[in-house]
Amino acid sequence: MVRARRRAELGLLLLAALIVTGAYALASLSRAAALPHDLGWFVGVVVGLFVVGHLAVRRLASDADPLLLPLAGLLNGLGFVFIARMNADLAAAQALWSLVGMAGFVVTLGLIRRARSLESYRYSFAALGIGLLLLPSLPVIGREINGAQIWISVGPMSFQPAEAAKLALAAFLAGYLVDKRELLALSSRRLGPLYLPDPRHLGPLLVAWGVSLLVMVNQKDLGSSLLFFTLFVVLVWVATGRAAYLVLGGLLFGAGAFGAYQLFGHVRDRVSIWLDPWSVAKGAGYQVVEAAFAMADGGLTGTGLGLGNSGRIPARETDFIFAVVAEELGSVGATAVLLAYLLVIGCGLRIALQAEYPFEKLFATGLTTLLGFQAFVIIAGVTRVLPLTGVTLPFMSFGGSSLLANYVLIALLVRISDETAKRRAVGREDPQRSVGVAEVSA
Amino acid sequence: MNGRISKIGIVLIGCFVALFVQLNRVQVFGAAGLNAHPENLRSIDRSYERSRGIVATADGVVLARSVDTPGSDFARRREFPEGELFSQVTGYYSFEYGADGVERAFSDELAGLTDAQRYDRFSDLFVDRDRSADVTLTVRSDVQQAARTALGDRKGSVVVLDPRTGAVLALWSYPSYDPNRLSGDDIEAIRVAWDDLNADPDQPMLGRAYRERYPPGSTFKVVTGAIGVESGAVTATSPVFPMVSSYTPPASRNSIGNFGAMVCGGTLVEIFTVSCNSAFAQMGTELIGPSKMVSGVGRFGFNTTVPFDLPSPAISVFPVRYGAELSPGVYEDSARLAQASIGQNDVAATPLTMAVVASAVANDGAVMSPHVVERIESREAKVLFQRVPSRWQRAVSPATAALIRQGMESVVTRGTATALVIEGFVVGAKTGTAEVGDGEATNAWVIGYAGTPGAVPSVAFAVIVEADPGIGEQTGGRIAAPIARAVVEQALKPMQPVSGG
Repeated sequence: MVRARRRAELGLLLLAALIVTGAYALASLSRAAALPHDLGWFVGVVVGLFVVGHLAVRRLASDADPLLLPLAGLLNGLGFVFIARMNADLAAAQALWSLVGMAGFVVTLGLIRRARSLESYRYSFAALGIGLLLLPSLPVIGREINGAQIWISVGPMSFQPAEAAKLALAAFLAGYLVDKRELLALSSRRLGPLYLPDPRHLGPLLVAWGVSLLVMVNQKDLGSSLLFFTLFVVLVWVATGRAAYLVLGGLLFGAGAFGAYQLFGHVRDRVSIWLDPWSVAKGAGYQVVEAAFAMADGGLTGTGLGLGNSGRIPARETDFIFAVVAEELGSVGATAVLLAYLLVIGCGLRIALQAEYPFEKLFATGLTTLLGFQAFVIIAGVTRVLPLTGVTLPFMSFGGSSLLANYVLIALLVRISDETAKRRAVGREDPQRSVGVAEVSA
Repeated sequence: MNGRISKIGIVLIGCFVALFVQLNRVQVFGAAGLNAHPENLRSIDRSYERSRGIVATADGVVLARSVDTPGSDFARRREFPEGELFSQVTGYYSFEYGADGVERAFSDELAGLTDAQRYDRFSDLFVDRDRSADVTLTVRSDVQQAARTALGDRKGSVVVLDPRTGAVLALWSYPSYDPNRLSGDDIEAIRVAWDDLNADPDQPMLGRAYRERYPPGSTFKVVTGAIGVESGAVTATSPVFPMVSSYTPPASRNSIGNFGAMVCGGTLVEIFTVSCNSAFAQMGTELIGPSKMVSGVGRFGFNTTVPFDLPSPAISVFPVRYGAELSPGVYEDSARLAQASIGQNDVAATPLTMAVVASAVANDGAVMSPHVVERIESREAKVLFQRVPSRWQRAVSPATAALIRQGMESVVTRGTATALVIEGFVVGAKTGTAEVGDGEATNAWVIGYAGTPGAVPSVAFAVIVEADPGIGEQTGGRIAAPIARAVVEQALKPMQPVSGG
């Protein structure tokens, strides 16, 4: 069982390495008509990185899910190939960040041996999350880039604290909801047609929710606001089973969206660009329009790796990298990328389903929702399914904070899956043991 | 909890299915539309620094070529040696603003980027060579020059076609612009030029010969007359329209007066000769009726996109709704149909469409697809494209066309276009004087054809001189016909290849 899972993981990692190095060679062939001079190095680093991740899992989480790490590695590697093909300077940085990300993965597995140990730090995580969110608003280290005040700089390094904050807030929510979910499911107060639980229990939740949203809206970080809002609603609903929270969430979202539309010019701009980018194709709608042209140019099978022509798309290495993928790999390749994200989501939710402790279930659900919904939000923005909100495409976009945070996220899912599998293995040997920890059906 | 986690999974799958659907809408089903979108500069990006082929006239004058620019940001620039004379045909070619005209419509061919050019031979998979191709137009530099000289600095357009093939011999409109102002690597100067040209109220970059619509006025009587004959309601001898000075449509109080309150009527050729409003208004309203008029104008190229090989031609329009039928042959909006039958009301036509109308009559009722590109040839003299004239649609039968030609020739010999009599040639024409706005000012039109007796005419034309508020009324016969004459005389001469071109 153990060996089979790890063998599968190693095989999939090598397959991912093959795809990534093949793509790297192909991109160089089509641009310079020659193999990249550093191909040997590249193969070595990719395989080395993957093997390090694999050995860490083998040693620290030997029963873990075998799909997550290869999928993360594949998306990370493909993203790198595209960044390298667009901008050599960014590629060097992204290579470094990939190493840091994998290190973060290993360190997380090493430090957190038991996911439930995080549960007792829930209020610390709430404070940490909100504190991280507030950092960019501080003088000296706060930086505004492209109209959003979501960066901090320390020396030459820039960091987006929201990426780490989302993990902290997911941990807080899971911990808090496990504790209070039964109380939150009771309704003792009536507010109009809605029955609400005791404000003592709802209070901290609303405070954390409100503060984090206010901070992000204030920093004009629409994407993160949407992401956090969804995370809160999803987790509260999953924890309590009260459809009223979905309704309430929907109403709050509607009110918030309407208010933001009325109050903020940039929100109105985003919506009007979404509805009709063509009338402002040379102005505000330029990015979305150029992305549509890029994807249309790619067609079914794409222009070929390295043969696209996406130079006009602003932020093509970060938020809009999916447009470049769709251009060069076509709708066939872009669909493969969509499927890779769906597989990550599937793995994450399966881990949540199989987990035995409510905290693990909620935490795994929260982490998976964060990653899956973030991928959806940015791809939907690029393809004009939704108005554009700038968030990174997990693992593929250029950016260290995002890459590191997502590797840590994957490590946490790997940790939970390993614990569950180990418990089950023990449970099989001693059937009595699992009875005590079986979830009280919610 | 597990049930709800599964539901989250289903919702996320739904989200990704939506992405998949949208991806295919953009990349597969909507791709052709997006690739042809006017804002889409990708074909320029692909090829800006590639060597592009030459664009040349039928008589060998080079209109556009790539020249090396050592020391500049870009390896090459596009040069248009004839300046503004052919810019409505060749268009411009700019890194910043894309391209128009032939430079846009045939960009991939000029740059050697079509699949046929890229993978001409097996070795092309490995070796990069100059695959650019040269485009030869049907346009003749002498006829184009004659059009510019004749129109002078009056706003308007001249379109000359060969009715037998649909080949465009001249396509000129004034004001025009110099496409060289948008070429090169001085981005700042190009931006200034672009803003200047776009801010100009005369819209020099519009390409009004095929992208601007005007009320066609009396030239539209060619269409109405042809539909009348084709429907069987009108023959050479009947009906004999009443001699009146105005016509009042049924269910209407407003009458349509004749030019200068003239009393006119008679047979088809007679009403053509004097451009009798009352007779044609009555013909469209009472003898033809809305449904036959609407289907008939479609066969002349109204309310449909003419298959032209330059980008974004405007659609010429004819009203299609005339309300309920009150009594047999009488409609709520019969008054509107009466006006539309003489080319007023909401009828609007491009000069190109009116030239197509004239060429249909000249070519025995068959409309050939109008075009400016004759041939595309690779650097190795391999012909990638050779125009084969093709019939777009049939407007009317040969017999109908012959009868309408009698009318139009009578307009030249003893009607409103006597300025067009050319010794040794058969010429038919129809003038038009269309009011614009409220003032005295009028657009002056003339459309027609010319050729050697006994053969299908070799030249069809449309000329419009736009209303000039300072001049007041300008009639087609007095203002437009002399311009047409100068251009047609040149077009009737055999083409002289320009040496060393």
